[in-house]
Amino acid sequence: MADLNEGRLDLPRSPARFIAFGVSAVLLFTLLGGRLFQLQILQGDLYARRAAAAHTAEIPIPAPRGLIFDRTGRPVAVNVPSWAVKARPADVTKAGVSTVIGRLASLIGADAKVLEQRFDAFHGSPYDLVPLTKVSRQAALLVGERSQELPGIVVEVDPQREYLDEKGNLDGSLLAHAIGYTGPISETELANLASQGYLPDDPIGRDGVESSFEQELRGTYGAQLVQRDALGRAVKVLDTVREPTPGKNLMLTIDAATQRMAVDALTWGMKASGVQEGVTMVMNPQTGEILAMASLPAYDNNKFAAGISATDYQAYLTRPGKPLRNHAISDTYPPGSTFKLVTGLGALESGVTTPTRLWPTYGCYQIPNAPRGQCLFDWNHTGFGPLNLTQAFAISSDTFFYQMAVKQGVDRLGDAAAQLGFGKQSGVPLPGEAAGIVASTEWARRNGRPNLYTGELAQAGIGQNVIAVTPLQLLNAYSTLANGGKLMRPMIVRGETSDSGKLVKAYLPEILGTLKASTADQRVIRIAAREVVTSGHAYNIRDLNLPGALSGKTGTAEFGAKTRNNTLPFHSWFVAYLPSKPGATDAKLAVVTFTYAAVVPGNVSLEVVKYFLQKYFKLDQDLRLDPHNFALVRNAN
Amino acid sequence: MGAISSTFSQNVRAHKWRVFDWQLLLYVVLLVGFGVAMGYSASLGAGGSSASGMSQTVKTVIWTGIGLTIFFVAASVDYHWLTTFTVPIYVAVLGLLAITTVIGTSLFGAQMSVTVAGLDFQFSEVCKVLMVVVLASFLTGRREKVGRLSTIVGAGVLMAIPTFMVYRQPDLGTALVFVAILVGMLFMSGASIGWMAVMAGGVVAVAPLAVQSLAIYQQQRLFCFLDPSVDPQHTCYQLIQSLNAVGSGGWFGEGLTAGGLNRSGLLPVQSTDFIFSVVAEELGFIGGLIVLALFGLLVWRVLVIGWGARDALGTMVSVGLASMILFQLLVNVGMVVGIMPVTGIPLPFVTYGGSSMISLLFGMGILESVRMHSRKPTF
Repeated sequence: MADLNEGRLDLPRSPARFIAFGVSAVLLFTLLGGRLFQLQILQGDLYARRAAAAHTAEIPIPAPRGLIFDRTGRPVAVNVPSWAVKARPADVTKAGVSTVIGRLASLIGADAKVLEQRFDAFHGSPYDLVPLTKVSRQAALLVGERSQELPGIVVEVDPQREYLDEKGNLDGSLLAHAIGYTGPISETELANLASQGYLPDDPIGRDGVESSFEQELRGTYGAQLVQRDALGRAVKVLDTVREPTPGKNLMLTIDAATQRMAVDALTWGMKASGVQEGVTMVMNPQTGEILAMASLPAYDNNKFAAGISATDYQAYLTRPGKPLRNHAISDTYPPGSTFKLVTGLGALESGVTTPTRLWPTYGCYQIPNAPRGQCLFDWNHTGFGPLNLTQAFAISSDTFFYQMAVKQGVDRLGDAAAQLGFGKQSGVPLPGEAAGIVASTEWARRNGRPNLYTGELAQAGIGQNVIAVTPLQLLNAYSTLANGGKLMRPMIVRGETSDSGKLVKAYLPEILGTLKASTADQRVIRIAAREVVTSGHAYNIRDLNLPGALSGKTGTAEFGAKTRNNTLPFHSWFVAYLPSKPGATDAKLAVVTFTYAAVVPGNVSLEVVKYFLQKYFKLDQDLRLDPHNFALVRNAN
Repeated sequence: MGAISSTFSQNVRAHKWRVFDWQLLLYVVLLVGFGVAMGYSASLGAGGSSASGMSQTVKTVIWTGIGLTIFFVAASVDYHWLTTFTVPIYVAVLGLLAITTVIGTSLFGAQMSVTVAGLDFQFSEVCKVLMVVVLASFLTGRREKVGRLSTIVGAGVLMAIPTFMVYRQPDLGTALVFVAILVGMLFMSGASIGWMAVMAGGVVAVAPLAVQSLAIYQQQRLFCFLDPSVDPQHTCYQLIQSLNAVGSGGWFGEGLTAGGLNRSGLLPVQSTDFIFSVVAEELGFIGGLIVLALFGLLVWRVLVIGWGARDALGTMVSVGLASMILFQLLVNVGMVVGIMPVTGIPLPFVTYGGSSMISLLFGMGILESVRMHSRKPTF
């Protein structure tokens, strides 16, 4: 064998090592080739499928949100285009978060720190878009022009909600409580609602009709098949899988003009008497439709539509009167004398009294089975002498109704209250409704006693102590009386409309229950309610030239802790309806006003209702009295 | 002695071009051709128009032209000039890497190239080939002492400095290529296997530390191949898309420029490091095998030249280049098919990149020089 190293000048070659090297190389090639075989031949189908899936995706097409109109077809919630600046984390991070966001902030005049906070708070995919802020059209154009310096920053046109008043101005405070607002969906909500097609940051209704009719307003999102690029961005639409179904447009039962009248009347009354919290509601007793719902102070939901600032939100939270709450349905108060409707009806229905039977009245009513001297006062400390139900109702005798309450017992009283809708939600399709409290044995048991005290029961008869109602419940109760005994479900939405606000589908009124009392008995109370107005107990409201026989009830409800001069503060109530003749059941209008801690001689709520009716019927008269100065009746009740 | 050598060298001079290894050049050119075609297809897929695809092709052709010129120049010169210039070459290597560290621009987060007049120079590419030369020179200079530990240590130290500089760029992949070159050349030089094993053990012990000191995203990229679902959106995205592309190629692929994933631009960096995934997607299993076969044939020719070299210097250079090409092939294709960690190592001759092309062609030229200046005229 020839010397393998023949001709070599120095180091010998090692055949063994060459062979070893060569074998390693061969193994290497086998390994790679084998892996190729595995991927491409053995598992080829799997990867082919994944490859197909990787570059197409189904992305949703948002549906336009339904509009909201008032009763007459005025648009009160509309969609307008808004420009949102968004950031894609993958691109922004690569170029430097502070740099890019800093540049952006100085360009559009925003606070870089706030934007960075929002950016950092995002926890989704780095190829999604993080909304940073909304900008004007000019700012949006600027950002577009300078896009080279702002990698990862895009401007998207998103629809935004605008809320309008009765004149079409951008002022949501008129109907804020009724309509509510929309805000971006939270992560917890998204976890529950993603299956229904909600996307991160989708608007979702909060409060009001926006919330309770969220499904109708949102519509159904569509879907389209798109081709994506390496970064997951859609580059081409391949097919529309499903067209979006636009949200339904809704018509409120509220008439914005009427609402304005209610708000103005209430504002006047609250200012004149220094009251900080009040409600005025107007309803059609025949259908339960709410024609106006004013809760003051109110808030401007437009502030929420664009994303409320922390300062504004704090201001709303700390303002006395709690503007964010809808006092009409969410808060409960003692109804005072207005509750005598329940006591009277319950007494008639259970046979405790008849329309004509007379009862003695006292300055102070001795509580049965209680030690001598424990008595409950009438507002008139001398009593009125013997009265029948109609008279007692008109003059609002407390001791009469103490007796009615005690005689019929807590269960019958509770039953009468329930028939009139107290103690439970009215069923109005709005969020946040309170149920209120009606005295019952059960309540006593929950508070550690076998029974209600007799004194408590007596006080319940005049709407004090263990009775708390919402203004809506009270209005609905009197509406039930006014329409002949049908407890209606209050309506806030009248139906669905076309895009121009024409009603195309009306929702039907719903009867929730009927009063057990006979028509005759009910009529007695209706006549009594008329007497309230005509007897002078409601001051000069009887002098209004109204197209009907205004009937109703005043109420003064004590609450809270005694003041320095040993008296309790009180609320002021007035509820009324307008039948064509006394006792008739054809009233189409019912009004209630509630004013919180209206500690003035006059009945503020009465004055407010008076003012409202003057406006509503466009009367020439102005019979308002200064609530601070009442000479007609002392010790107002 | 003098007469024989002068006759020898006369004969050699006259006949050297007869022994020029045409196969080597052929396989190189074929691989470059693949690279051009795939690069064109890939740049189309990355959202480029046919114009930009053409411009990349044109650039590649120009770089190749320059490279081939260097190739022929290096081939015609007797390669022994390398021993004369070993020290300056080493100094140049350190200098180039230093420049890169100081003023290099970032390509995808690694400081790897220096841009001059709009052209990217990746000095680490040419440094690989230069270090082959330096190391070859060193090892042959050891003569009989090559079996000693001091050889291994010396070679290690020599290599360690540029390796470390490259690693700090940070370019882990290329640093590993340096190590592969060192290992291959030490092995073939006749160094002590026992000592090499000890060294290897030491390296394995140190490896976790080295990995820790990488940036997080680099660490994540390394481990994607074990479980791509670690971060499917982000760092492992390339690998997942690559596997999908490769697998969907089937036997014959989807056709040149017709690869689904390629066309939808879903493969980031496909015109550079992941180019093999385009080959696999568009030319299928058969296409992939052909490319592997070309590499196999290329490495075979390199080793044949090494075996037939007249002196250890020639053998060392050939072995060094073979190690380099094999290692890069293993890691690049391995990465594309998901059996190697994701690193930024180019596929020789195929990946688009002027520096890599020219460096490799320079190396191939030296090899031809080894062949032409080694053989006895009678072979």
